[in-house]
Amino acid sequence: MENKTVQILKAKRRALWRQRFMENWRVFMRNPLGRIGMSLLVMFGLMAVCSYIPPMIDPMYHPMTGVDPKVVSSVGPSWQHWLGTDFMGRDIFSQLLAGARVAFLVGVSAAFMSVVLGTAVGMTAGYMGRFTDTALMRLADMIMVLPTLLVVLMLAALFGQLSIWMIVLMIALFRWPGVSRIIRAQTLSLKQRPFIDAARVSGASHLRIIFRHIMPNVLPLAFLYMTFRVTSAIVIEAGLAFLGFGDPGTVSWGMMLQWVWKTGYMFQAPYWLLPPGICISLITLSFYMLGRAMDEVLDPRLRDETQAG
Amino acid sequence: MRKYVLKRLAQVMVILFCILTILFVLFRLAPGDPVTRMVDPEMTPEESQHLIEQLGLDQPIWKQYLIYLKNCSTGEFGYSIHYGEPVAKVIWEKLPNTILLFTTAVLLSAMVGISWGKIAAWRKGKATDLGMTIAALVTHTLFLPWLALLLVWIFAYQLDWFPITGMVSDEVWLDPDAGFFTKAADVLYHMVLPLTTLFLIHFGSYLLVMRSSMLDTLKEDYILLARAKGLTERDIRNKHAAPNAWLPVVTSVGLSLAFSINGGALTETVFSWPGIGRELVFAVSQNDYPLAQASFMLISTVVLLSNVVVDVLYAYLDPRIRY
Amino acid sequence: MALLTVENLGIGYQTAKGLLKAVDGVNFSLEPGRSLGLVGESGCGKTTIGMALMGLLPPNGRITEGRIVLDGVEISTLPEDELRKVRWNEVAMIFQAAMNALNPVKRISAQIMEAIQTHRPDMDDDAALLRVEGLFNLVGLPLERLHDFPHQYSGGMKQRAIIAMALALNPKLVIADEPTTALDVIVQDQILKETKQLQSQFNIGIIFISHDISIVADVCHDIGVMYAGQLVESGPAEEVFFNSQHPYTQALVSSFPTLAGPKTKLAPIPGEPPNLTGTIPGCRFCDRCPKDTASCKLDHPKWQQVGPGHHVLCDHC
Repeated sequence: MENKTVQILKAKRRALWRQRFMENWRVFMRNPLGRIGMSLLVMFGLMAVCSYIPPMIDPMYHPMTGVDPKVVSSVGPSWQHWLGTDFMGRDIFSQLLAGARVAFLVGVSAAFMSVVLGTAVGMTAGYMGRFTDTALMRLADMIMVLPTLLVVLMLAALFGQLSIWMIVLMIALFRWPGVSRIIRAQTLSLKQRPFIDAARVSGASHLRIIFRHIMPNVLPLAFLYMTFRVTSAIVIEAGLAFLGFGDPGTVSWGMMLQWVWKTGYMFQAPYWLLPPGICISLITLSFYMLGRAMDEVLDPRLRDETQAG
Repeated sequence: MRKYVLKRLAQVMVILFCILTILFVLFRLAPGDPVTRMVDPEMTPEESQHLIEQLGLDQPIWKQYLIYLKNCSTGEFGYSIHYGEPVAKVIWEKLPNTILLFTTAVLLSAMVGISWGKIAAWRKGKATDLGMTIAALVTHTLFLPWLALLLVWIFAYQLDWFPITGMVSDEVWLDPDAGFFTKAADVLYHMVLPLTTLFLIHFGSYLLVMRSSMLDTLKEDYILLARAKGLTERDIRNKHAAPNAWLPVVTSVGLSLAFSINGGALTETVFSWPGIGRELVFAVSQNDYPLAQASFMLISTVVLLSNVVVDVLYAYLDPRIRY
Repeated sequence: MALLTVENLGIGYQTAKGLLKAVDGVNFSLEPGRSLGLVGESGCGKTTIGMALMGLLPPNGRITEGRIVLDGVEISTLPEDELRKVRWNEVAMIFQAAMNALNPVKRISAQIMEAIQTHRPDMDDDAALLRVEGLFNLVGLPLERLHDFPHQYSGGMKQRAIIAMALALNPKLVIADEPTTALDVIVQDQILKETKQLQSQFNIGIIFISHDISIVADVCHDIGVMYAGQLVESGPAEEVFFNSQHPYTQALVSSFPTLAGPKTKLAPIPGEPPNLTGTIPGCRFCDRCPKDTASCKLDHPKWQQVGPGHHVLCDHC
């Protein structure tokens, strides 16, 4: 039923979108924080991709099950093992690569889930208003003040060992309130705009308004806020693994730190203590920088400030 | 104001009630027999029978729930399986230690973060600002347990300046001649590394918030008026800009309390600091559910009450807010 | 001797696109107890002049030429420490109340006392408070609201508090930057009347900055009309308002409605002021001028006398 004008309007809107996207991308890349964050992330991405290579070269490089038969305890860096081996002769470098994979997996999937959940809740609360709004926001307030790491720990106490997917799910379940507040505010301001009224008058259902008219307008914001969620998900998983409640079937950086701490090698094996910690800290830093740079893209006020200074 | 505080305390009670209910439901849903999870197998049959009656584990489920609520509200969380002692006794001993470390860390990092953030904003774009901002960004994103291990490795192991773990030295506390100050100094000596860990992780976020809040404030017209009044730059910064710039920092302290208590538990665990955070971790690893539940409830209470304190402080600092 | 003399004043802002000449070759003087209204669109440089008079140009702004002499002292070259003593003591400023000029977390009394005690360090709290009470009476604020916070005041009360603050040290010169813009008409009228009365009572010189020429004509002795960083017409208020010569002034006068008098059509001024970063060869208004001729674009216009004390920067008037 689309006539020509509508098509032209749509094409125009798409062109505008592309133009805005390019403009934002330029602002983003001009920011040193954004550039550093991006390059660090590319590096970690390469690590994650490369994590499949060492086990293919030799099964002894398998991060979890591969043991160098010539090594019985932790040894320092060598040609065979670039970063040395852990207490039972597993290669630390290949563990580090595998850790990058786990970090991305946990960070991105938990962040994605919490953003989807937070967006859904925020849009519903903002659009429905009244009682639904109050109830959902109270719930958000309540969850927001709880220490997520300890909550997940408590769930581990109740249900025993949690698998990596369970951990991801738990993090997502407890990290959505921040997103939902931002989306709710955005929805509230969108609700005042004439085009929503126009849609309602022309007989669109609530669901249609939410999905066709509000969602496309809040999604960019939601996904930009995802970067901050990635950071907290990675840190929570690492903390959990460090305390000994990670998924025993995966090698994460937190897990590596737990091994070096619990097996008593931390005073003798800096080659083992340093890399996982540096990696967790750097990946956190890079997502954080990315988030700050994106904030600047989103908030023109910040943009002006940096330009003037 | 009083009405507001009472209202907030009522909210805290409601949230605690919700958490208790959720824990109750989850506990019944979880695999395993509730009796074996709550009762120490090494108890004599009479003792365990008494405990089962006290916890109401032989009653129908709705009655169990009521007894559970009653027990929790009076602080009866059952017996710790590991310690063989009432849970309440175990955790009440640990609470002051946690509060000592946690509040000192939060206050210290907030104070330093605020005053350095003020300076950074004032010297925006200069070397001081750049150095402080980078330092804040980096320390703030360090992985806390790793930083703790690093500090132990360098300052306790390599340099041997501080004890590796613990909160007190036995020889000081068992010495009958040791006075209060000797003991306090001993605790302080043990506290240096855990405190440094928490401080390094936290001051950065306060610094960054204060810096950007201060930069926003400096654009306000009352700053221009203050300058027109002939005040010195120092007075403008300290008497006019800073009191306004604090407000968002206080909010951010409130929002980051949950994050801080996560860090507190990790720090306590690495340094074997005898607090409730470490107790929770320990209880979970030992399958000591009564102890884990009680520690968790106590930590939640501490977080929720600290939030109330932060909100009241905000209302006190901002005259526009009167409840 | 004149209280204030501004000679050939030029002020520039360093921007990403080069030096922006916000004020260019402005001359005027003010006798004690007289008032001068500076009128123009936003961006014409009137506020910049106000800030320069207090030595409060933003970090990227500086005086590029000319001088400002206040009471025999050249303040355009005064070092910061000396300038600080001049501020508020000799030149005070009335800010716009809606502009959030009062610090939201400090009590009104404390903010005024601070202004007094900064310049009278020997005055103790009691004496300063007494002075504040006197000021409150002067501007018609109730004494029981002395220790309120700004958010507890209405817009008109805030404006009075700011006026009280400006009068605190009996300054010789007060700069009023759009002092009544955000107030409703009745309060605006009251405050303007009182300001006028206070001015003659204390013999204060006032520079009144506004975009509304009808208000300025009502309050001030003299008017200076500014356009794109230049003064284009100046003279006694009545003369400039009722007998305006410069096309820009004429446009300004007819773009505001009058309550009394014949019903006339409001005429918006078409076009935009020129970009001030480059050099402009001819008259700055010629792009929007109905009387524009070819020579206007080429040569700088000259000042012409058109009446007693009434001057115009236009070759065709």
